[in-house]
Amino acid sequence: MSLEIENVTKIFGAPRSGIIEPGQGFTALDNVSLSVKKGGSFGLVGESGSGKTTLTKCILRLESLTAGTICFEGQDIHALSKADMRRLRARMQIVFQDPYASLNPRMTIHDIVAEPLIIHRDTVPMTAKQRTERVVELLVQVGLGTEHLFRYPHEFSGGQRQRIGIARALAVNPELLILDEPTSALDVSVQAEVLNLLHRLQDELGLTYFFISHDLGVIRYVCDEVAVIYRGKVVEQGSVEEIFDHPKDEYTRMLLNAMPDPDPDLSPFHR
Amino acid sequence: MALLDIQNLQLAMRSYEGETQILHGIDLTIERGEIWGMVGETGSGKSLTGLSVSRLIPSPPGRYLAGTIDFAGKDLLKASDRDMRALRGRHIGMIFQDPTTNLNPVFRIGTQLVDVALHAGHNDPSILGLSKDASRGAMKKAARKTAIEMLDKVGIPNASARIDDYPHQFSGGMRQRVLIAMAMVGKPDLLIADEPTTALDVSVQAQILRLIHDLVAERNIGVLLITHNLGVVAQICTHVAVMYRGRILESGPVRDVLKHPTHVYTQALLDSVPTVHTKRGELRGLSGLSQEASA
Repeated sequence: MSLEIENVTKIFGAPRSGIIEPGQGFTALDNVSLSVKKGGSFGLVGESGSGKTTLTKCILRLESLTAGTICFEGQDIHALSKADMRRLRARMQIVFQDPYASLNPRMTIHDIVAEPLIIHRDTVPMTAKQRTERVVELLVQVGLGTEHLFRYPHEFSGGQRQRIGIARALAVNPELLILDEPTSALDVSVQAEVLNLLHRLQDELGLTYFFISHDLGVIRYVCDEVAVIYRGKVVEQGSVEEIFDHPKDEYTRMLLNAMPDPDPDLSPFHR
Repeated sequence: MALLDIQNLQLAMRSYEGETQILHGIDLTIERGEIWGMVGETGSGKSLTGLSVSRLIPSPPGRYLAGTIDFAGKDLLKASDRDMRALRGRHIGMIFQDPTTNLNPVFRIGTQLVDVALHAGHNDPSILGLSKDASRGAMKKAARKTAIEMLDKVGIPNASARIDDYPHQFSGGMRQRVLIAMAMVGKPDLLIADEPTTALDVSVQAQILRLIHDLVAERNIGVLLITHNLGVVAQICTHVAVMYRGRILESGPVRDVLKHPTHVYTQALLDSVPTVHTKRGELRGLSGLSQEASA
C-alpha cells in the first residue's frame, strides 16, 4: 500500500459575481504533493481553514479534484468506477474528530461497529454471527469489552467513544487509517491513552496512518513524517526530527513557537 | 484584602438519581494582578467553580451546602439577584469557551457590545466618561464610542467600521476577541475565563494569551483562567490550582506546582501532555485515575 498525492488542486466554486461571469472561487488546495509510505505515520499540520480536511475528503473521494491525481497503490482513485471505489474504501477508513457527533445516538455499539461489515459484505463476507464475533474482537482490541456491546453511545465517555470510532474504522481490516484530529475533543489524560492505543494498533496490525492535527506535540508523538500546510499550500515537509528540530519555513517556526510548553520557564510572559 | 476569597465552597447538584455533591470544599484566594489557572479533567468541577463566582448556577438543581465567596468584602452567595446583576459585567467579567455560540448571530457585533456597555454605564456612568445625570442619547453615543475603543484595544483592525458587522463575518479568533472586549468593557476587577482558547488554533491562542496578559499588566485585575491545557497555564498563569473530582489537590505559584509537583495526580497530568520533545512511547496516560474520575 502506498498513497501518492500529486499536484492536487481543489477550487471551490463561488457564486456568480454578475449575471454571466463566474465568481472567483476559493482555492482550498494549491498544487499539493505528498507521498505516504506503507506502515508509516504521516502527519499533516495546519490551522483551521488551511485545507487539511478538504485533503482527506479528496483522498476518500468525498470531494472531486480540480486538478492533479491521488493514487492508491498505483491506481488513480478519482478515475475508478463507483463499484471499484466502494471496494477500495474498505481498504481506507477514517476516524472523525468529534466522537460526540460521529456516532449515531440511536444505534447500539454492536450495530455501529458492525455497519461497515454490512456495507462491505462483498469484500468481507460474513454471517450475522461471525459479524458479532468480529465486533467483540474489535472491542477487545481497542480496550473495551463484551459488556459494552448493546449499550448506546451516550453511556460512554469521550475517550471510550473515540475508541468505538476507531473500532468501527478497523472493522473491515483497512490498510490506511485517516485520523482527522482524533483527540482534539478529549482531555490530555484521555488523549494520551488514545495515542498510546494508536501506537499499539499500528504495531499489531501494520496500519498506515494519515494523521491530521493542529497540535504539534501530538504530531511529534505519533508521526514519523510530517507536512505543514498553510492556506492550501504545503510549506514544508520531511521527517519529524527534521521539521521540529530544524524548521526552515517561517510559518513552521511560528507554529512551533506558538505551542505552549508545560514548562513555566519557557514562557515568554514569565521573566 | 484579597480581591476574591473562596472558602470551603461545597456545591451539590440534584438529578433524578438524587443529590450528588460536586464541589467538596474549594479554597481559593485571588489577589489583584494574579492570573490563577485552574486545571483538571472534564467533570472535575472547574467550570462550576467559575460559574459559582458569578452565581450563574441555577438553584435548583444547584445547592450550596457550605462556604463563602467573598468578593470586594461582600459574600456573593448571600447577595441578592439585583446585586449580582450589578456586579456581572461591571465588576466581574466572563469569557466562555465557544466564541461561535456565545454571540447572537442575528445582531451586529456593535449592538451586542453597546448593550453590555450601556448596562455597565447604567450602574456607573463614569465608565462611559459621563456624569450621573447624562441623557439617554449621550449615554448611547458614549457607549458606542467605548465599544469601538474596546474593539480597537483587543486588536480588531478598523474597529469603527467592523463594529457594524455580524458575527459570521468574523473568524474564530476575532470572535473570541470580541467576547474579551465584551467582558472588559465594564472595566471589571475580576475576569473569569472559562477555556477561552480551547476552540482556537495555537497561533491564535498565543495572540489571545498575550492579550489577556497585557490586560492584567495594564489594569491590575485578577483573572481566573479555567483550562485543561497545562501548556496554557505554564505560559501565562502566575498561580495554579489542580482540581480533581471536586477538590483542589494542590495549589500555589505556577513554578512550584508544575516544576515540583507534590501530588502524584499533578505529575501524571504533566506526563500525559505531549510536547515537541516527547518521543514515541514516553507518554503516560492516567488510566486508573481517569476511569475513577469518569465513573
